[in-house]
Amino acid sequence: MAAATPATHAPAQPLVRLEGISKHFGAVAANADIHLDIHPGKVLALLGENGAGKSTLMAILSGRYRPDAGRILVHGRPADFASSRQAIAAGIGMVYQHFMLASRLTVAENVLLGQEGAFLLSPRKMQAQVAALAEEYGLALDPAARVADLSMGERQRVEILKLLHRKSRVLIFDEPTAVLTPGETAQLFAAFRNLTSRDRAVVFITHKLEEVLEVADEVAILRRGRVVETLPRSRVSTGRDLACRMVGREVLLTVDKAPLAPGEEVLRVENLSGEGLDDVSLDLRQGEILAVVGVAGNGQKPLVEVLAGLAPPREGEVLLLGHPWSEFYTRPSWRGSLCYIPEDRLGLATMPGMDVVDNVLLTTRRGFSRGPLLDLGRAKTVVRDLVEEFNVHPRDPNALAWQLSGGNLQKLVLAREFYRDPRIILAEQPTQGLDVAATEEVWERLLLARRTAGVLLVTGDLNEALQLADRVAVMFRGRIMDTFPAADREKVAGIGPLMAGVRPGESGA
Amino acid sequence: MFGLTAHKRTEPPGWGSVCIFPAALTLALGLGLGLMAATGRPPAAVLGSILSGAFGSWRALEETLLKTAPIFLCSLGVAATFRIKVWNIGAEGQYALGAVGGAAAALAFPGLPAPVLLPLMFAGAALAGALWAAIPALLRLRLAVNEIITTLMLNYLGILFLDWLVYGPWKDPASHGFPMTALFAPGAVIPRIPGTRLHWGLPLCAALALGLWFFLSRTRLGFELKASGEGRRTATYARMPYDALVLLVMGLCGALAGWAGLIETSAGLGRLQPTVMAGYGFTAIVVAWLARLRPLAIALAAFLLAALRVGVENLMLDFSVPAAFGRILEGLILLCVLAGQFFATFSLRRAKAPGTAREAA
Repeated sequence: MAAATPATHAPAQPLVRLEGISKHFGAVAANADIHLDIHPGKVLALLGENGAGKSTLMAILSGRYRPDAGRILVHGRPADFASSRQAIAAGIGMVYQHFMLASRLTVAENVLLGQEGAFLLSPRKMQAQVAALAEEYGLALDPAARVADLSMGERQRVEILKLLHRKSRVLIFDEPTAVLTPGETAQLFAAFRNLTSRDRAVVFITHKLEEVLEVADEVAILRRGRVVETLPRSRVSTGRDLACRMVGREVLLTVDKAPLAPGEEVLRVENLSGEGLDDVSLDLRQGEILAVVGVAGNGQKPLVEVLAGLAPPREGEVLLLGHPWSEFYTRPSWRGSLCYIPEDRLGLATMPGMDVVDNVLLTTRRGFSRGPLLDLGRAKTVVRDLVEEFNVHPRDPNALAWQLSGGNLQKLVLAREFYRDPRIILAEQPTQGLDVAATEEVWERLLLARRTAGVLLVTGDLNEALQLADRVAVMFRGRIMDTFPAADREKVAGIGPLMAGVRPGESGA
Repeated sequence: MFGLTAHKRTEPPGWGSVCIFPAALTLALGLGLGLMAATGRPPAAVLGSILSGAFGSWRALEETLLKTAPIFLCSLGVAATFRIKVWNIGAEGQYALGAVGGAAAALAFPGLPAPVLLPLMFAGAALAGALWAAIPALLRLRLAVNEIITTLMLNYLGILFLDWLVYGPWKDPASHGFPMTALFAPGAVIPRIPGTRLHWGLPLCAALALGLWFFLSRTRLGFELKASGEGRRTATYARMPYDALVLLVMGLCGALAGWAGLIETSAGLGRLQPTVMAGYGFTAIVVAWLARLRPLAIALAAFLLAALRVGVENLMLDFSVPAAFGRILEGLILLCVLAGQFFATFSLRRAKAPGTAREAA
């Protein structure tokens, strides 16, 4: 077990100390023997890949989960949080990725919700109180504005104010920049500085290396549920250095990708608009992976929903295997057609309360039909082979879907969907929350599937896009900003600005 | 609250799933007996009276079995709709329409022989019940009207329609003003099993249960019904015809509840009259939850609730207990079962005050 609590750069007593925290979900150790100090006046970055255990750790610290073992010390005294309310009372608050705000209420009402002093409320006094607090911490906000009218960055500030009003000393942010524009990100980091200058502690969970380099004072690196290293920012030289420490190997995960000769066109989208989409055109051929990248919420979801047949196209044309959308989806064939690997693995792609066989039958049932009957015996045999081939654990076809870990569930979904010999594959965040080994398996499967299908990969993970894709399309505000070969280094270097809506040659906003 | 906090289980309760429901049943019965004790009736004797009333003699057992049939059929239908998360509480009204549909055939063709007339009556009952159930299904699918409200209200409409018929156009002129149709022709009465008071509707129920179990577990359509219980989005994802499945399952429930109404009319009373409405459609909701929607468990739960009804009838004689007591017990059972389901997904732990030390493991 590598470095626990280095004392050299920690002069003062830590505000919060985690000792030997462990948490298991079923057989999976989400956190194992974690030691971590949180100091006032410092920004601590919790760095790790998806599924490394960052969110679980912070859920424990903020009182949402209880650890199986270990303890939390606040000001040197042991604390045991049974709820997030108790954690907040102890001065530990969290800003979740999905904001917890009442969108129909005003900023002031949201900040004071549940904290009103008396039975009768005075909106003016509430707003004045919140305005003063916002002023103190330099958070620009109109306390009278309705939350529904605010941008994501502003909503985040409301969340911060909520915590400050509750006298939080430790503020935890779960991937706070995922929903922000670059400008808002800069403002958030300024707010971090402001907070630490007032002796608050900031913990932020991320897997973006450049953010760590930019704003962190200390970095704790999580890998597979363990803190493998804690070090001050000054000891980190480059992003590459951090990446190596994060992955634990000298090389980042790479896959062997030989380009294939592109086959026939399997998907064509022309001038698709509506539902947040703005004149989207793209095409996909057999033998290639086209990655659609962008900050979450820039039109990827509506695009996928239309392509997957969950929502009809409003304007524009979609051709799937040469057929118009409505014709294709009147009676889609279960085999040799389109398969969709959704982001929502447990809610949409699988049925949590049903077993592995039923979950495989979900989309392949037509292949096991004998007249009106289902050939369950053959289904079971095929499922046994599939879980073997795709390395799904447990091998038990009677296991229920919710008992499978994220990686195994995803492998099961891939096994099922690839059994259908798809010609078009829509893969949405296919490795989110998976460990390195599972990610590698999923990547290899997708590359393999390219031989017989065209793959549309929608991902927020730029590394994944560049590793797998033959071509990259960048989305911003419902538009495709540009599409280019993944080998085009110059274009690839400009993806960041493109994701923020800035085309090369234009000045940054 | 009470120094306890609820935690979502990360693993299913091992012994719990077996014990929760008998425990809920016992608790409900205990509360009911407590109610009896509070009104000065000795609980042990009350329990004895219920048990002997329901199982004490062959005659009592026959009575229980006879009441099991309609409850069972309604519960099968209700459970099928609950499985796909259509909250149909309209079995009572579908039962009424089934009774009306069956009676219509019986009154229209009194001269037909039983082998022709009975199938005709079953078809009429199934059709009437299914069409009645299709109304809330269509309202939900086309206009997004909440089916809980429409199915509930259609119950009262269905019952009133039945009343109107027997008070009006279908009233037997020879009934001295009582609201009832004429006695059915012999060919319209489901025959009894020789040597017993039981009728052939009971074996039919058993066959239907097996058929439904086979349909749900072995056919593709049955699988699609099960899978659609995950919701419309999952159904669309898997390319299942969700709307058609909702209509199908509502129609199925209407037909089953309709047959229950027919059996009670034909075999039980031999004519249509308002007393055919005994609340079986509401009891079915309790049965469906008690059996956790599994067809074979529904048979057992329907038998238990039928026994409760028969036992309480005995209790009414022995201890002059009001008839409502049976309904109260049913309500208690439903509440206890629903509360018991809480423990299937959550566990209670003693809460600790913040800041208290907890020994590291």
